[in-house]
Amino acid sequence: MTDVAAPSRAKPWAEAALWFAILAALTLLMVAFRDRLNAAHVTLGYLLVVQGGSARGGRPLGVALALSAFLCFDILFLPPYGTLVIQNPLNWLVLVAFLASGILSAQLLYRAQAEAEVARTRAAEVDHFAILGAETLNVARSEDALAAIALVIRTTLRLDACSVYVNDAADVSEETSKPSELVRWVASRGESAAEILDGTTRVGVSAGIAADQGSLSEGARELLQPLRVRERTVGVLSIRKDSGLSLDSAELRVLEALSYYAALGVERVRLAAEAERAQALQEANRTKDAVLASVSHDLRTPLTTIKGLAHEIAAAGDARAGAIEIEADRLNAMVANVLDLSRIASGAAVTDVAANDAEDLVGAAAQRVSSLLGQRELRIDVAEPSLVGRFDFSQTLRALVNLIENAAKYSPASTPIDLRVARLDSRLVFEVADRGAGVPAAESERIFERFYRRPGMSPDVGGAGLGLSIARGIAEAEGGSVTYATRSGGGSLFTLSVPAVDED
Amino acid sequence: MLAEVVLIIDDEPQIRRVVRHALAELAGRVIEAPNGREGIDAAAAQRPSLIVLDLGLPDMSGAAVCHEIRQWSTAPIIVLSARHSDQEKVALLDAGADDYVTKPFNPSELQARVRAQLRRASLGATQPVAQVVEAGEVSIDLAKPLLKKNGAAVHLTKTEWDLLRTLVRNAGRTLTHQQLFKDVWGNSYGDAQQYLRVHVRSLRRKIEADPVRPVLIVTEPGVGYRFENEQ
Repeated sequence: MTDVAAPSRAKPWAEAALWFAILAALTLLMVAFRDRLNAAHVTLGYLLVVQGGSARGGRPLGVALALSAFLCFDILFLPPYGTLVIQNPLNWLVLVAFLASGILSAQLLYRAQAEAEVARTRAAEVDHFAILGAETLNVARSEDALAAIALVIRTTLRLDACSVYVNDAADVSEETSKPSELVRWVASRGESAAEILDGTTRVGVSAGIAADQGSLSEGARELLQPLRVRERTVGVLSIRKDSGLSLDSAELRVLEALSYYAALGVERVRLAAEAERAQALQEANRTKDAVLASVSHDLRTPLTTIKGLAHEIAAAGDARAGAIEIEADRLNAMVANVLDLSRIASGAAVTDVAANDAEDLVGAAAQRVSSLLGQRELRIDVAEPSLVGRFDFSQTLRALVNLIENAAKYSPASTPIDLRVARLDSRLVFEVADRGAGVPAAESERIFERFYRRPGMSPDVGGAGLGLSIARGIAEAEGGSVTYATRSGGGSLFTLSVPAVDED
Repeated sequence: MLAEVVLIIDDEPQIRRVVRHALAELAGRVIEAPNGREGIDAAAAQRPSLIVLDLGLPDMSGAAVCHEIRQWSTAPIIVLSARHSDQEKVALLDAGADDYVTKPFNPSELQARVRAQLRRASLGATQPVAQVVEAGEVSIDLAKPLLKKNGAAVHLTKTEWDLLRTLVRNAGRTLTHQQLFKDVWGNSYGDAQQYLRVHVRSLRRKIEADPVRPVLIVTEPGVGYRFENEQ
């Protein structure tokens, strides 16, 4: 399609030979009829040849033909023949006018042709961009879009090779070839680099494309150009021509425009990968939830059977059955803990945050732990009536129960556990205090880690080591906290705080 | 013996076995159904005094079974489930279930719940309105109405009476926030949980021996309240 407007061009020397042959033939013809021709005939004849030659062979041929014709005219057609001498001064005028008009017409033709050439180049550029746009939009995979862009750049600029590297967060990657260290350097620094024909490498601003200056690293064989989208280096474009890159300003302009396409293509690859990752993550989360839900269900159903049968056996007088029931309960608590952890991890720890009574929560907690504590004393101190906080009742109850259970585990059974509720500025604080051994300062944060068990504690005492971690996860999800402090007089003081609400 | 016929709807034979064993001494006859459809048919044909319904049925959701049975039966329904969120519990109670037990449950826990439901159902049948309810330190005369705590009369506001009456009439049964709100405040608009919170608190101050450790008006976390007079 681009060939239609372009004239078919023979090789320059053949063109020149042809036109000099025509000039010679015309001269011989005119010499034969010299007696019947005047200067005007000769001038017109030669001008035709000069113009024809200019049109076909360009300005140099036109000028060469004009000068040759000028000499032939002088020697062969202006008396005295055979010499450069001109008798009639008026003939000088004719000769100079001929030379001037010959050169002028060559010049004019050249300019017209050059303008036509520029127009053709522009049309070709537009064509390339159209092809590129269509190709990048058409390919299904974004990696294919990059390959298409690379191909267009390579064919447009008649290069030996062109690659587009994606600047991945982890590494610079490309489909086919492994990126060199120089590519990595360009990707990380966001500056250009060029490999010169003599084997040296030039880096920095001077190496890059600058279309407005119409320059390119002199004698470069390979050019590495960072691709930027919104001030960020997203990839690297590499172009190579073994015989040396020489691009004129129009080609540089094309390269710059295509680079931008490539940068957008790279960005598209990145966004597509990101979307894919997000989707995969979502899928994994869904699967995890489904698995946990079904594990939970599938575990609890046999546990119910185990507990039921153990109960029957215990009723029949076998004391060992009691142990089976206790173990089944432990297993169940573990399942519940793991489910809670997964809910906290997925940001769904609390779902129903509303204004709730502190007193109500404390009462529910006392009821929930009553069978665990048995005869053990839980002293409750509600500092003032009508304390209201903003929290998820069920989940915060779980957090508070975990703290009380923890206190029960790590303090002597003969000592009471204290539960105190108070308003502290904009917060509602529930303090659970025991008279146990307390926690060494070095471990006061580690006790909130998952599966952490205090050293020296038997596994039976510690459970799975999840209670405090879950309590903190729940509190934090509703804008609160769980902290540890040493209790004055010995023991541990855990504080669960949630946002307070002013009763209207 | 409290009940003639008890129906168990559960697809797990092992669970049915455990439930059947737990209920043996409470019921004359225990019948079983392995899915929702057959359960509904059995409930219609055998007219059980109580239904134990598992939620993980292969053919229908538990709420749908509850809802269908409630169209023509007042038999108490106790739901068994591996795990339910507060919202699911509320939905079940609103659909007509009377109580729920979470797996894995202790058979004696299930027995206690069943006993409470059967007692409540039989009371409801023979004495439509209990004249005087004795609970802990208080005696509640719903007809007069008069509340005495340790022999001394205690004043209740109209809303407190409405709330107490609803709770007492459904003693042993968990009422959701929405159910209580509808009963006490009618169809007024408002935040059920917030109105209830305030009035339950004031009511507890008047009837509970220790309002911080309530034993009469018990909180069912995230679901509602229940009046207990087991003592």
